[in-house]
Amino acid sequence: MPTPRVSPAAVGSVLLAAAAFGLILAGHLSGGGALDLPWAPALGLRLHFELDGLGALYGLLATGIGLVVFAYAAVYLPEHLRAHGRPQRDGVAFFGALTLFMVSMVGLVTAQDLLLLFVFWDLTAIASYLLIGFDRDEATSRRAALMALLVTGISAVLLLIGALLLAAEYGTFSLPEIIERARPGGGLTLACALIAAAGLAKSAQVPLHFWLPRAMAAPTPVSAYLHSAAMVAAGVFLLGRFYPLLRQSPEVLDGLLVVGLASIAVGGVIALTRDTLKQVLAYSTISQYGYVVTTLGLGGRKAALAASFYVIAHALAKCALFLTAGAVTQTTGAKGLSGIRGMAREAPVLAAASGVAAAGLAALPLTVGFFKDELFFAAALERGTVWAILATAAAALTFAYIARFWSGIFLGSASSNVARPGAGLTAPVVVLALLVVAGGLTVSPFLDLAKDAGAATYGSSTPGEAAYHLDLRAENVMALTAYASGAFLLAVPAVWRPLALGVARAGEAAGPARAYQVALTSLNRLSDAVHTFEVRDLRNRLRPILIMAGLLVALGIVSTPSGAYVVGSFTWGDLPLALTLIVAACAAIACTVPRDHLKLVLTLSALGFSLAVAYAFFAAPDVALVAVLVETVFGLLFFGVFSLLPREILRNEAVKMAPPRRRRGNVALASVSGTFAFVVVWGALSRPAGDPSAATELTARTPDAHAKDIVTAILADFRGLDTLVEITVVLVAVLAMATLLRRGRLT
Amino acid sequence: MIASALTKTVARLIFAPTLVIAVAILVKGYADTGDGFAAGVVAALAVLLQYVAFGHEEIERVLPVRRAPLLGVAGLGLALAVAFVPVALGKPPMTHWPAPGASVIHVGTLEILTAVVFDIGVFLLVFGSVVGAIRFLSVMGRSAP
Repeated sequence: MPTPRVSPAAVGSVLLAAAAFGLILAGHLSGGGALDLPWAPALGLRLHFELDGLGALYGLLATGIGLVVFAYAAVYLPEHLRAHGRPQRDGVAFFGALTLFMVSMVGLVTAQDLLLLFVFWDLTAIASYLLIGFDRDEATSRRAALMALLVTGISAVLLLIGALLLAAEYGTFSLPEIIERARPGGGLTLACALIAAAGLAKSAQVPLHFWLPRAMAAPTPVSAYLHSAAMVAAGVFLLGRFYPLLRQSPEVLDGLLVVGLASIAVGGVIALTRDTLKQVLAYSTISQYGYVVTTLGLGGRKAALAASFYVIAHALAKCALFLTAGAVTQTTGAKGLSGIRGMAREAPVLAAASGVAAAGLAALPLTVGFFKDELFFAAALERGTVWAILATAAAALTFAYIARFWSGIFLGSASSNVARPGAGLTAPVVVLALLVVAGGLTVSPFLDLAKDAGAATYGSSTPGEAAYHLDLRAENVMALTAYASGAFLLAVPAVWRPLALGVARAGEAAGPARAYQVALTSLNRLSDAVHTFEVRDLRNRLRPILIMAGLLVALGIVSTPSGAYVVGSFTWGDLPLALTLIVAACAAIACTVPRDHLKLVLTLSALGFSLAVAYAFFAAPDVALVAVLVETVFGLLFFGVFSLLPREILRNEAVKMAPPRRRRGNVALASVSGTFAFVVVWGALSRPAGDPSAATELTARTPDAHAKDIVTAILADFRGLDTLVEITVVLVAVLAMATLLRRGRLT
Repeated sequence: MIASALTKTVARLIFAPTLVIAVAILVKGYADTGDGFAAGVVAALAVLLQYVAFGHEEIERVLPVRRAPLLGVAGLGLALAVAFVPVALGKPPMTHWPAPGASVIHVGTLEILTAVVFDIGVFLLVFGSVVGAIRFLSVMGRSAP
């Protein structure tokens, strides 16, 4: 394999990841730090970041795993682009999105403000959308990216609602202050349930797990990063961040237990049946984060510590296994277990390194993974025997599918396509494997990090220890039982295979993925139907508005208590106004007569100008001025456009202007809606203004704004931000018009 | 569209006065009827009349209408600056200077206010957008079969 040139974008992102990792590590070792900038104090919004234990753990994972994955991608991507027939410069976008992913993860895990948290949460969803859909020429990638965006994006709204509920109840967006003020209750439970749901969807927990296996359409480095340190880890992070609140409502914790156990079971069982390498790992991730969710659901100090430690151990091992799958597929072309056998002889280093990683995931001794299960078992034991048995069964499942994955690739007689992967693809796996072993020999650095994170998760310190004990304590017995049952599962596939395949098939036929598909298709169809109905004829678009408005007005008149509707008196002073309005009404009726575009525009102008005169009589000179100007511009523009159009087209369109069979309905509709509008406006103008305070106050404040003209003061000062938004719309409309006129071309 | 000699003469004669009126509406908007929006439309009308009288090619040659959208963007930038520079100074967005009650610097009868600068931004944006839209339409007309 020729050594591909490493792009500057890759080098840049690797260096950035290394710098960020060093910075977070140094910050954490020196006791953390905080950054708190107010940016809109009037609204209580501030940029508040803090590097606490939990933030440090996930920040180190995002940057550390990021460092390894980026380095791997620097070697992997050029080959990937070549295989897809794309130019190498597309790699810049890839590394840009990866870096965005990393930065938004670091922002997410350090944010202490709910809105800030939400912004970074959505940024991770956007980055993952770009990365999962990176192979944009493949329909499966595009669909997978959209699915990930929809599932995690829609569930992000739940996070926003939960955050707003919390802010409404406790009067602040600052998370530490909310945690201080929180008291158990219905409101807190609801907010926590919504936030937990958002976290569970992001962590691909049952029943919102289906997006994750499909997201495997992404290039392998993306999958590795997504699963071990970024997207999916973000969900569990969110649970940890809100855990001081979550643990105050037992209902939410029980919900976590149910979801977590279901995810362990579904993920584990389906992982046993998959053939594609990355699919096995994807279902394994669902199952593994199920462990973490279950642990958090168990509650207690031990659980908070165990969950944090589990995330570290899982990230190292899972990332290594993904990178292995990528290396195997890129060198041999085989995507599934059925396409490859006996690769250990050709690639002994990769085999050994990924063997260590697999052992770490299966929790064998001498790896950091052993302690993750030890802590998990301890937390389960604390809750009761039933939970201990379930935990053992879960560990057995993990052992079985990971052993199947590793032995399927590396053991047995070599298949014909085995080849040696390049050093660039092997080295990152070796680095991760060394970390897994180092953690198995001296666990204290990892445990200390997990303790800090556990303390931040639980709200107070979480003491705990992890060490080898050569005795028959409960944790050791559980581990041995898990290995034995896992090996048994692997040895006699005939016992469980039909059942597991049945589960997988049932999930595909009637599972949540199917519901998603049906919902998406029907939504699309509805949108198409509305679009066709609206676009075919402008009158179709106006008719529902007029009918609805008429109905509402009729309803209002019917429900008005008798006597409330006043018909005002008419004095001789109103005569000029009434006369101009009569002229305007005549012009409006005259608009229905012409069958010719030029005459129609002229009558419309007459209507507009007579209304402008009415404004002038009504003491609104500013409005009158603008009305006159807009009428003039529109009149001239219409004439200009007509002179550009061929005459036959205008004549044909004029004939079609109103087909006779439709005229009667149009007249009826116009009369009814016109009458109701008249009745309402007449009634409204007849009443003395109910609340004059708003107008009085604005008038009183006008000198404060150094203005003499109240309309300008409102536009440029009192409601200045509204004006700003409106003029932005004007500019956007002109840009859209330019784009349309150039048939979609921007240049 | 070929206009008569009379239209051409009138259009040429009233071009500069119209722009002067637009500027007048703009700067005295805070004291009298009219504001940046109205001023922008009046100025755009002046250009529109030239289009009607002289046609696309002639205008394109004489006036820098090609830059009109840039003018609109500049206006938006100005308005954004007035709205959000106070944020950088630690005040709520859209805080105007001078503050209520403070004395105002006068240049003749003209008052120096950030609200007037904001209105100038609106003027530029409306003028640029409308002229841009007119130009796009006339370009389309020229390339139409």
